[in-house]
Amino acid sequence: MTSFAHIRDKVRAAEPLSLEDGVALYQHPNLMELGALANEVRERLHGDRTYFNRNLHINATNVCEASCRFCSFARLQPGDKGAYTMTLDEAWGRLQARVDAADPITEIHIVNGLHPGLPFAYYTDLLAGLKKIQPSIHLKAFTAVEIFYFTKKFGMSVEAVLRALRAAGLDSLPGGGAEIFASRVRKKICDDKCTADEWLDVHRVAHRLGMRSNCTMLYGHIESAEERVDHMLRLRALQEETGGFQTFIPLAFHPENNALMKLPGPTGVEDLRTYAVARLMLHNIPHLKAYWIMLGVKTAQTALWFGADDLDGTVQEERIYHMAGAETPQVMHPTEIIRVIQNAGRTPVERDTLYNVVAEGDALVPDKPFRRDVRRRGLEVVS
Amino acid sequence: MSLDPGALPVEAPAASGETLAQVDLFALGRRASAARDERLGRRGSFVRARQLLVGGTWRGPRDAAESYADESDLDGLGGLDVARAAGVHTLIATRVSPVARAAADGGLRVVVRVPFRAGEADAERLARLAEIDAAPFAIWGALPSPAGEPYGLDTLKLFALSRLSLPRVPHLLADAGALGPRLAQMAFGFGADELFAPIVAERALRLGANANNPALTRKEAVMLIRGGGLVACERVGSGALEEVNP
Repeated sequence: MTSFAHIRDKVRAAEPLSLEDGVALYQHPNLMELGALANEVRERLHGDRTYFNRNLHINATNVCEASCRFCSFARLQPGDKGAYTMTLDEAWGRLQARVDAADPITEIHIVNGLHPGLPFAYYTDLLAGLKKIQPSIHLKAFTAVEIFYFTKKFGMSVEAVLRALRAAGLDSLPGGGAEIFASRVRKKICDDKCTADEWLDVHRVAHRLGMRSNCTMLYGHIESAEERVDHMLRLRALQEETGGFQTFIPLAFHPENNALMKLPGPTGVEDLRTYAVARLMLHNIPHLKAYWIMLGVKTAQTALWFGADDLDGTVQEERIYHMAGAETPQVMHPTEIIRVIQNAGRTPVERDTLYNVVAEGDALVPDKPFRRDVRRRGLEVVS
Repeated sequence: MSLDPGALPVEAPAASGETLAQVDLFALGRRASAARDERLGRRGSFVRARQLLVGGTWRGPRDAAESYADESDLDGLGGLDVARAAGVHTLIATRVSPVARAAADGGLRVVVRVPFRAGEADAERLARLAEIDAAPFAIWGALPSPAGEPYGLDTLKLFALSRLSLPRVPHLLADAGALGPRLAQMAFGFGADELFAPIVAERALRLGANANNPALTRKEAVMLIRGGGLVACERVGSGALEEVNP
């Protein structure tokens, strides 16, 4: 049995932790002790600095061939109730509206369903059109699951898909679709999309081509502590090989409106524990993001002391988790993000997607008066 | 009792230049939990309670072990005596007030709200807690109650501060409805010992009009308390605590 003291010694000596260590951390009864150790690593890497960016989410279609049991976003057919697919003009219009509003966003995050009827040109035109509107915008688009789907659907290799998308404007990959790598779990919750090895291979190729990416883990459903730690170790191994991951994002399962809605979902303490364990296991992935959309602002802020150093961004129009019951607002103004970070006793730093500093210190002047009561916006219907 | 400057670095934030936001979160949590454990053991409790509403109707299970009224409803109910006659034995007081004192003197259990607002000055909170600590009557519990949407760390530190600065108040309640179940559970790591929430026999799916229903099932309450690192106990009709095993 691995003792906490032994693990603490390894962490302080910068030795990688084992599967057994990770499971022991999940079982450690003293959350404060675990959090303090994770915070030690967080502060060793980043001090008090806590990152956020100004971004826009575009979920261009929710039509999806995959039938993942945890998903509330997807619709199997274009005509199904609630199914939507944006025209390119509609998708471009999302960015144009931000440009017209002089909103200095630096990133667009694009994640979609696996639509069986869209041509590859839809995706390349989408990217090219967005770059045309704002050439400096960073396009973080298409999960590894989507990239893999494109290879099958359009008969191209992973490298060919990535090269074509990059030529159209793709800059980096988001980390979604990893779920839990263990085949036992994948068979039960997402047996008709790419395997763990295929997911990892897409990121491997992207990294080899010089692109950065993020990685995720969907936790709090049917997986065990061993399977969570195994997931982290597989990510850590790829990072050892390529160094291309920037950020790990634990995603809390939301049990509303999907086939797993009888499960309770993770509790607050489980969220904090997962963040702390992730910070300790993934010593070679620099950033750990508390994605406020999924965690809720209160838990995300608390996670800033349990290993997390990033709150994601302003977001705007997130659909995937709101359709799964997320009760967070769909947008958080930078003023509010800065206030949340400062209230946690941390130092806010506005970053771009690649963690270049956009503004910090005195340059980080909120451009609107502080307003605490953020109202939730209803989802706009897109035909 | 005033705050112990040696034990609590937040005692005089204005003088030291240190704010609550800069205090070591983990030290504060450990200290507050130790204070709770010393007094109550590592037990976290819940109770199936019902609330007397204006008009004399009850909200909550018929077989509730306890019943309470909120001070803000007393006028509409016709006063403290009417509430007591209806079977109320706990008053949720808005503050340390003459009504709260009358309730305590009359044998009711009194829980006092600790109102707070995200980002407010530490000194305001300390003053509020000092007022509760100085109450000239017995207070059974303190109930941190946010005005508007609370912050996470801010709230947890208030819990720890409440536990450490209210040594005469045995119970610190985490309101799952006002804080959300996630934050309410985290509060058990910062000195809370009771989950305050409507406990129902069976949870309706949180859809449509029911989307924000804060009710928890008994099983969910137990899961939150146990997940928070405490032994889950249910307070039954006699006031005794019974350990609940899943």
